[in-house]
Amino acid sequence: MDAYDGGSNAPDGADGVVEPDGREASDEPAAGPRTGVAALSLRYQIGAAIALACVAVAVCVHIGMVFLHVAPSNTVTKQHGQAIDDWIYPEFEQNWKLFAPNPLQQNIAVQVRAQVGRPDGGRTNTGWYDLSAQDGRAIDGNLLPSHTQQNELRRAWDFFLATHDAENRPSGLRGALSESYLRRIVVMRLDRDGAAGRGETIERVQVRSRTTNVPPPEWSTEQVSEQPVFRVLPWWSVSADDFEGGDR
Amino acid sequence: MNRCALAVSGGIARVTEAALGPYQTAVIRIGFSATWLLFLLRELPHRQELYGPDGPWSFGLAEQLISDNGAFTALMWSDDGLWFEAVYAFAVLTSVLLLLGWRTRTMSVLFMVGVLSLQNRSVFMGDGGDNVLHLMCLYLVFTRCGQVWSLDERRERRVRAARARGERVVDRVGPALWGVLGLMLVTVTVAGELDGDVTVPVILWGVWVALAVWWVVGRLARSDEPRILLDVVGNIVHNGALLVIMAEACLIYATAGWYKIQGSRWQDGTAVYYPLHLDYFSPWPALADVLSASGTLVMLVTYGTVIVQVAFPFTLFHRRVKNVLLAAMITEHAVIAVVLGLPFFSLAMIAADAVFLPTSFLRRLGDWAARARGRVFRREDAPKVPGQRIGDEAAPQNRGNPENPDHTRVGFTA
Repeated sequence: MDAYDGGSNAPDGADGVVEPDGREASDEPAAGPRTGVAALSLRYQIGAAIALACVAVAVCVHIGMVFLHVAPSNTVTKQHGQAIDDWIYPEFEQNWKLFAPNPLQQNIAVQVRAQVGRPDGGRTNTGWYDLSAQDGRAIDGNLLPSHTQQNELRRAWDFFLATHDAENRPSGLRGALSESYLRRIVVMRLDRDGAAGRGETIERVQVRSRTTNVPPPEWSTEQVSEQPVFRVLPWWSVSADDFEGGDR
Repeated sequence: MNRCALAVSGGIARVTEAALGPYQTAVIRIGFSATWLLFLLRELPHRQELYGPDGPWSFGLAEQLISDNGAFTALMWSDDGLWFEAVYAFAVLTSVLLLLGWRTRTMSVLFMVGVLSLQNRSVFMGDGGDNVLHLMCLYLVFTRCGQVWSLDERRERRVRAARARGERVVDRVGPALWGVLGLMLVTVTVAGELDGDVTVPVILWGVWVALAVWWVVGRLARSDEPRILLDVVGNIVHNGALLVIMAEACLIYATAGWYKIQGSRWQDGTAVYYPLHLDYFSPWPALADVLSASGTLVMLVTYGTVIVQVAFPFTLFHRRVKNVLLAAMITEHAVIAVVLGLPFFSLAMIAADAVFLPTSFLRRLGDWAARARGRVFRREDAPKVPGQRIGDEAAPQNRGNPENPDHTRVGFTA
């Protein structure tokens, strides 16, 4: 706490200075009735001491747990990973690898097309809708980008990648949830874009990602490929569950 | 040996006799509640898509994930659209009231309920800013963050003045609020809605019981000692939470910094160029081009960012260096807000940084705000209460006043 300048002497309303090494300047106890532990009889002082001990332990344990949670995998986390996870999840989860170890150097665009059923019973495929490009345009010149523009699709795609292998096979509950989530987002967006005309219905959707390298800076001599890389997912059938309010 | 014992007893006296950093805790209270309030208002048109029962992360999907991780969210108590609207409105209202410091302890709990309810409902909508708010709303509950710059502090001052005039003051709002919230707490507990992870239910019940104990002891205790003990416990908890908040801020910077050091782009001095050219983080492409036109400049900013982030926790031991770094970080976050299009993340980070601001600066800020408000409102209801200064902000200077002998309890009732 000593490192915490100002605040430590503020409650006294005095402008006394805390020395950098943490010792207080000698203008300590001001006149006035004794308060704090000094005003208590032994019985109550013991109570205060117990409270102090409990809080001190809780604070140390919590800071230690958070430290181990954000630290790289190490001897302690390998042995006590479960205990740390039990303490941290779900409410104290955190990830501060902000643009680290390396910032993302690729633009990943999520695109989607639909197979729509016509009233006459025929089917047609729409063209590709670049949903990320739409997000990008919504963010351009925007002082207050919405989470729906900046995070929703981007993080849904990250979630999908994190829960699927290279053959697009889902892993566990989260894999299934991420598919459902992504499908609901693209169906909602296709609906907004009017992909299905009057009397037509979206029967299937196909999602793909288009990854392009950010061109290196002009002042750099580096060369990177400008060719986009596609990851194409299989066609997904769309059910009533995938429409707004369909999954209750 | 003797010196060591002296230092320990001095330290114990310090953390028990006062809730430290009244201005710092008040400024983060205002900062986090304002960030959340502005975010909620900005997302008002998108609230259904983000957190509503029919949003893409539907009620059914959220239900499956939450039955797995046990996170707390009042939004899972019903899939009714009206319930959703009520919770959203509740989150807006509680952030306003916490901002103003009305019944601060209770509001800090309700604010936490609002933040967690929305964020845990749709975890894949958030970013780093949401993460900061999520943690800090939990920690804030344990602080006495309404000691200054709050309606509580004004109320306390008025009550004291009234008592000094010999009037009897009875608080009816506090017990009523406690009763209503207790009834709701019992209801949801009996209904089994708090059966997930224990963290939040423990906090809810703990604060509710603590408030009752506080009130009963304040009313019925024959001697002063039980009240002073509770006050001491309140101070200890506050100071512990303040330490956790500061440690959390340090961990954020340390993690962000140390992981960057390992990255090749942060080593070759080009890292800052890349986020500026991602479609999702470049609202002003022309500005980004200008900022990254010079390789030397990009390299300096890249290295500077890492140095500041890694160094910050260590500079806390030196006041002046810390303040310089703090100014640098707040400036960088203000720039990020606009250039990378991350206003709420930046606001949340600036609010977290503010816990390290020096008291003298915060006081000047408070005086300045009070004067600005005075100019705007031209109040004719100037001091009615003896000893009251203009504006709430000057209050702690009242400590020496005869009607304020009660040192440890300034501006705070439970």
